[in-house]
Amino acid sequence: MSDFLSAYSIQNWLESCPQGYLDGTEFGHLPGEGEPELLLENDILREDAIATTVQMVVGERCALAASSGLINAAPDEGSRRYLATQTLDEARHVEIFTHRLYDLGVRKDQLEDVIRRYANPNLVRFAEVLLEKVDRKDFVSGVVGQNVVLEGMAFSVFEMMHALSSELNPKFGRTLAGTIADERRHVGFGENRIGSLLKQYPEKKPEIERMQKEMSYWMLATFADSFRHNQTQAEMERLGQERPHSDYQGVDLGVLSPEQMEDVLADTVLKEFKTRLGRIGVEYQTPARP
Amino acid sequence: MAVTSAGVATPVDVHDLDYDRFLEEVHSFEFWFEAVSGYLSGLAWGHRPDLVEPARTAEERDRLVTVLCNYCVGETAALEGASGLVAIAPNRLAKVFLATQVVDEGRHLEVFHHRLRDLGVEDPESEVERRASRSLVLFRRRLLELVAGKDWEAAIFAQNVILESLEFAVFHSHAAGADPITADVLQGVIRDERRHIGFGENELGRRLATAPHIRARLGQTKKELDHLVLDSLEETSRLIGLPRDEQDRLGRLYLGSVERLGFA
Repeated sequence: MSDFLSAYSIQNWLESCPQGYLDGTEFGHLPGEGEPELLLENDILREDAIATTVQMVVGERCALAASSGLINAAPDEGSRRYLATQTLDEARHVEIFTHRLYDLGVRKDQLEDVIRRYANPNLVRFAEVLLEKVDRKDFVSGVVGQNVVLEGMAFSVFEMMHALSSELNPKFGRTLAGTIADERRHVGFGENRIGSLLKQYPEKKPEIERMQKEMSYWMLATFADSFRHNQTQAEMERLGQERPHSDYQGVDLGVLSPEQMEDVLADTVLKEFKTRLGRIGVEYQTPARP
Repeated sequence: MAVTSAGVATPVDVHDLDYDRFLEEVHSFEFWFEAVSGYLSGLAWGHRPDLVEPARTAEERDRLVTVLCNYCVGETAALEGASGLVAIAPNRLAKVFLATQVVDEGRHLEVFHHRLRDLGVEDPESEVERRASRSLVLFRRRLLELVAGKDWEAAIFAQNVILESLEFAVFHSHAAGADPITADVLQGVIRDERRHIGFGENELGRRLATAPHIRARLGQTKKELDHLVLDSLEETSRLIGLPRDEQDRLGRLYLGSVERLGFA
């Protein structure tokens, strides 16, 4: 275990993250990069971008609360130190997505009201399920909820958003790329550390399986709301803007309807859950479809 | 940096900013990132990689191991305290600042563990447990009780004023006479501590100005923790071989930092 944890040391984190892929960036993007004019000048596109970014802030605030809360429940020093790096990664994500809201025209004194107004209640329920485990200092369930379910979801969502936006919005694309690199590390820790702990505490499995099923349901409900109420695609068509033909999981996102995109994303995330949970010896539970 | 209307970035003294913008600046990941990039670049495990371990007697090594083990106890308390404080922080900026502090404390724990391994300690975790000073262990327990009780002001006072001031004073004094590797490690830690103390003083200073009734509660916390702090200060000073007058100076330095907040 100590060999595996040495790959997650703060020294490694400093070299690969702040002194590596974040070097030369400012709030996650290159200095001077801004949101595209089209997005800032069109009320529909801007509001959709704000609503999407609010979900990212909500998710990252949950991740910040969970990773910091799990430090005091961790059974060993190496895990604590790793979680210290994850805590700062999540705080950075909260900061860069909050800054995106400012870049999209949200005033600082409006921030909390805007978050309250747009936060998807299903995503809030998703977060509550996880934070309940963290509050009870249940390290094993907390890490599965945080580093496998939440991070696994964020990883796939951010990859899809990256594919959708990097051509039209390089600033946001770069912000997402740095975040994806962080999430990859977080998911890796969850799988590696929890596998051995579950061998020690096999009685935890049924509770973890219930949590995964419940979190997956709230996640799917969030996806359903987000895709079905999103007006960006219709507005882009109205403006005669061609959609980028970017590839995600082998499909061309430029030709899919919002409902088809929702299906691709949901299937991708659930397939990932199944694979990752299988690796740590937890049986994937199929959630109800909202 | 600030961006002018022409879109040009210009360096800004943070003290020239209005208060809200000052907080937005100094409690950010970006500020932390800029700060640590300056003094951690090129270091491995907190020190320049080309430094050579000096010769020392078995007794000197043993004393240094005990001191480093107790630094680990303090840093573990700080890591647990700071991570618990993220959850009860009253706003986003305080949460982000504390997240930077969490990784700083995690780094300190890591570099001290690494230093113990350099000195031939095979299992630093059990060695730390074996050599931990009783006063520091009690301090840690009390700090975590304040955090668990969600007492924001008292917990920040115990963590970012009392504990950080104690560490700052001891590390500063130790670095002056330490071997080059330990001195390098301590210098990096001291620079982080300065930021943490600044946050604590700023946060509490503002609260005390608007809610003076908090003062009595913090005075009680200080009274409770003072003897633990001064005991561990004396113990560590003895182990690092400080003369008596330097020990007294450290005690005064610690008391001075809490006096700045109006606690004599």
